Amino acid sequence: MIRPIASLGRGTLDALSALGRAAMFLAQSVLGIPSREGWHLWLRQMHFIGVMSLAIVLVSGLFIGMVLGLQGYTILVDFGAEDALGQMVALSLLRELAPVVAALLFAGRAGSALTAEIGLMKATEQLTSMEMIGVDPLRRIVAPRLWAGFISMPLLTVGFSVVGIWGGYLVGVQWLGVFDGSYWSNMQSSVAFVDDILNGMLKSVVFGLVVTWIAVFQGYDLIPTSEGISRATTRTVVYSSLAVLGLDFVLTALMFGELG
Amino acid sequence: MFDNYRDVDERYVTDTTLVDVEGLHFSRGENDIFRGVDLRIPKGKITAVMGPSGTGKTTLLKLIGGQLVPDAGRVCIDGEDVHGLSRRALFRMRRRMGMLFQSGALFSDLSVFENVAFPLRVHTDLPEAMVRDIVLMKLQAVGLRGAHDLPPAELSGGMARRVALARAVALDPELVLYDEPFVGQDPISMGVLVQLIKTVNQALGLTAVIVSHDIKETLSIADYVYIIADGQVMAHGTPQTLDVNRDARVKQFVHGEPDGPVPFHYPAPDFYRDILATKGERP
Repeated sequence: MIRPIASLGRGTLDALSALGRAAMFLAQSVLGIPSREGWHLWLRQMHFIGVMSLAIVLVSGLFIGMVLGLQGYTILVDFGAEDALGQMVALSLLRELAPVVAALLFAGRAGSALTAEIGLMKATEQLTSMEMIGVDPLRRIVAPRLWAGFISMPLLTVGFSVVGIWGGYLVGVQWLGVFDGSYWSNMQSSVAFVDDILNGMLKSVVFGLVVTWIAVFQGYDLIPTSEGISRATTRTVVYSSLAVLGLDFVLTALMFGELG
Repeated sequence: MFDNYRDVDERYVTDTTLVDVEGLHFSRGENDIFRGVDLRIPKGKITAVMGPSGTGKTTLLKLIGGQLVPDAGRVCIDGEDVHGLSRRALFRMRRRMGMLFQSGALFSDLSVFENVAFPLRVHTDLPEAMVRDIVLMKLQAVGLRGAHDLPPAELSGGMARRVALARAVALDPELVLYDEPFVGQDPISMGVLVQLIKTVNQALGLTAVIVSHDIKETLSIADYVYIIADGQVMAHGTPQTLDVNRDARVKQFVHGEPDGPVPFHYPAPDFYRDILATKGERP
């Protein structure tokens, strides 16, 4: 009888302790805003985290836009409303699909790599040796990665949206024959800058912070063994995906809840 | 045998103690690693900390470097309590230390040259030409100047340790902590390393703490030796006094004898019974 209660208590304490460590970790890392000397570290991470994720994000954006164009057309054409295809593709992408899918792809591509990289540095005592040289790894290793992820995510989301809208255009207009002018003009008249574009960007900023935070913390906090690295990498992808989907609901409710 | 470090040989310990460890207690979970360890590391000398595997020698270095926090007791470096410092002050103090890790712990994304240059680049404003000269001098000292362009992945374990030594002394620190410097070295590198540690110590007046269980090499260069076992200082003295120490445990360790009070086997049930145990009884 007592054992399950004790294990529940231990589990709760462990979870709270991990949350506290993660919060302290974030607070100490965020202070490491790139300094004049640190710019090259930050740029290198922007390349690794942002530029190297570009291919997977853009290709996925193109296919998702094309699928949206195809599915949207087959539904809208029944009501004779295929002219609204541009509006449907753009709103779906800007409000939901671009921030969420780009964040999920980002977690799988860059998040897992960040965890494995930092974890391996920990397992081979590179972080410890850096500390002993008098350099804080939170500032030197973690901060540039955190900031690079935080900044890359909204830019990747923009790329995803642009390519997705173009994919919808290729299928809807070029292949299925929706009128070119109505595709663009309906989109232009229905997409609001603040409600749709800025809210979508705000989501991607939050997702970028959360995914990168989870990834670098899991790498920094793991048990330095091969099994520990494997578990932490898996945790990064699982926790990030759940956090993105859960936060998406919360943010959507806050942003668009009143519209209903 | 000495009861505590206050009984230490007065000819060895002067009033210039650099590292003072007092009443150190440290445990991991249920396992007590240290139960009241007292050490005094004097300036400009080579002090060895020895003991059987698993006695917490590396843990002691991490406690001295402030990477681990003791349950009780304190570690003072030059009069400053390491564990009472703020994070920033601790990092500032570490600039005066160098540490050689057992694995080398070289940064895998930097070349050999950049690894050795790393402390110089982050802590000094030296011009590039001077950084280059210092790095090449340090690499020449460990015999690896020709390997300065190689990535760490292409070095053998012994070479990586030598590069790590060059990096540890790049800033000419006051205190160098060596974690098992002789493990995995070929005989030539071993001889060079032993000489190098001794020479660097004498030439630059560095204070060295060597954690090792390579008796012959360590005793050949150490000025003073602490032997740790069962969470406490089992014995301490100069290499000469330890060599003639009559304590059975010290004798067994210093002379590498298989039989003695320190067991070779991890606690286990009777071997004969274990072998003949039926399937259901097997552990």
